[in-house]
Amino acid sequence: MPRCLDPGLSIIVGAVNEHGQPSTCRAIAIDSSDDLETLKVFLPVATSHETIKNIATTKRLAVVATYPFDNSATQLKGQAIEARLASEEEGVFVRERLEAFIGSLRGFGVPGRIASSLAHWPAFAVTIRVEQIFEQTPGPNAGRRLR
Amino acid sequence: MNIRLSDIRRAFQGIVPSGVSTADSHGVPNITFVSQVYLVDDRHVALSCQFFNKTRRNLDENPLAAAEVIDPLTLQAYRLRLKFLRSEKSGPLFDTMSLRIDAIASHTGMTGIFRLIAADVFEVESVDIVEGFLTTPVDAPCEGVSIEGARTEMRGLQLVSERINRAADLESLLASVLESLEEFFNFSHTSILLWDDANRRLTTMSSRGYGKSGIGAEVALGEGLIGTVAREKRLLRLSSLEADLRYGRTIRREATGAASALAEEIPLPGLPDAQSVLAIPLTLGDRLVGVIAAEDRDPMRFSEWHEAYLDIIANQIALGIDRMIEHGDEVGEDAAVAAGAAPTAAERCRAKRRLTYYRHDDAIFVDDEYLIRNIPARILWKLLGESQRTGRTEFSNREMRVDTSLGLPPVKDNLESRLILLRHRLQEKCPDLQLVSTGRGRFALKAEASLELVER
Repeated sequence: MPRCLDPGLSIIVGAVNEHGQPSTCRAIAIDSSDDLETLKVFLPVATSHETIKNIATTKRLAVVATYPFDNSATQLKGQAIEARLASEEEGVFVRERLEAFIGSLRGFGVPGRIASSLAHWPAFAVTIRVEQIFEQTPGPNAGRRLR
Repeated sequence: MNIRLSDIRRAFQGIVPSGVSTADSHGVPNITFVSQVYLVDDRHVALSCQFFNKTRRNLDENPLAAAEVIDPLTLQAYRLRLKFLRSEKSGPLFDTMSLRIDAIASHTGMTGIFRLIAADVFEVESVDIVEGFLTTPVDAPCEGVSIEGARTEMRGLQLVSERINRAADLESLLASVLESLEEFFNFSHTSILLWDDANRRLTTMSSRGYGKSGIGAEVALGEGLIGTVAREKRLLRLSSLEADLRYGRTIRREATGAASALAEEIPLPGLPDAQSVLAIPLTLGDRLVGVIAAEDRDPMRFSEWHEAYLDIIANQIALGIDRMIEHGDEVGEDAAVAAGAAPTAAERCRAKRRLTYYRHDDAIFVDDEYLIRNIPARILWKLLGESQRTGRTEFSNREMRVDTSLGLPPVKDNLESRLILLRHRLQEKCPDLQLVSTGRGRFALKAEASLELVER
């Protein structure tokens, strides 16, 4: 299965409201304990109002995780089954993943001082039931269904 | 709309990939990273359509989209609500977006596979700052053109013009242009390549800021970034070269199974770790004269102001070069073969040189090392042969021009640039053989070593 759960990934999510208007938001971390049957997505509270509202309304969520150094990417789509504030225990994981992402950004010359100021906590923990997984690496295979 | 798109133009330079989400007619969202959201004007942006992907299919069902773009200097994010309007498959916007993709494709050996299918144009219905994206907002460095800065640059423009007009010969014209760009704009890594209609290639004639001059390095039309600029005769500014090349290489890697014969990647001329490139065609009307290129390790080095500015300078350089080529004999063509630096004692130690002309390859090697090819090689071989047969060492430009065996074009023969190239190559590879000026339109072949001539 793709490396979509590795540390250091750049993650964005897409949701949609009841009128078909999409929204987008950066996520700080994703995690799965059941081989991607479900996926837990951590969204900063500060920046995810619209996305959370859309998830509450339509349940639909798409997540793309990209490894910045080689652009390899995976998209996961599914329906939200839970959305709540992340716990302090989960906060440790979120901060670890943020640090790994900051490391990726440093590799591209973004000063750590700036990268460290990315909003990440408190965060919502949104769990989705994964229905589809797609190859998203740029190229002719982008969009190929993996599961 | 409270924020004008032009006020956040840094976010559209493609340095930080942008997220774009769409949804199909059943309300299933799709999200993707795109390398660049292209700023069209204050109400429109465009996305490059390179593959018929899910995003593209969704837009046909539901024209609404959302994008998040990020200022690369402050990491401040902005969200755009978009409405898909149309796909453009030709026209100025398509050409501009296509040039960037073609250049990257050529550089990564992906010509024809990695290409723009369409420029998808969106109306921007709203743009909002993402409040709270950063816990500590970062002040953006001032990048506007200050009055003082503009004065300096206008003064720079004036001086560059003066230097172009004052230049006695092509070589000093090219050198003074690059010197001026460093002096007034801190462009430290620059080069000028001239188009040679006879062999259909661009040849590096002058460079500044590189360890090796690279003079004589050639680029075919359409090859790499510079060759693409020359073929399209359009300016190219890349602000995120490394990211663009990485993206192109990813597609190359992914496509390797699908395409059997991908071209080898062309080494980037100049800085191996360049992050930004500005390449401007030198043209007179529709006629290509050459390309001027600048590189930098700073991804934000070149701005729109530099584009506009260098475009003006490029016109003057093209005119100046044309004047030199057209009236070379009248404006001191002899300087083209001005005396080079005398060989050092160490260089003179190599008292014997074997020069081999490979007729089939039209190339001369000195002591088994490549020296030069094509017309400059024929010129040198003529001088060497004549000198060996008759003892003559003095020659004139005119006799080069009337010698049809050299293959000089009847008009715009670029003789001066060929002599400059020849002299530079001799200085680098065979310093004890020189072309020395002896008067207007005349020069001498001066050998400090005994020469063995071999023809194969």
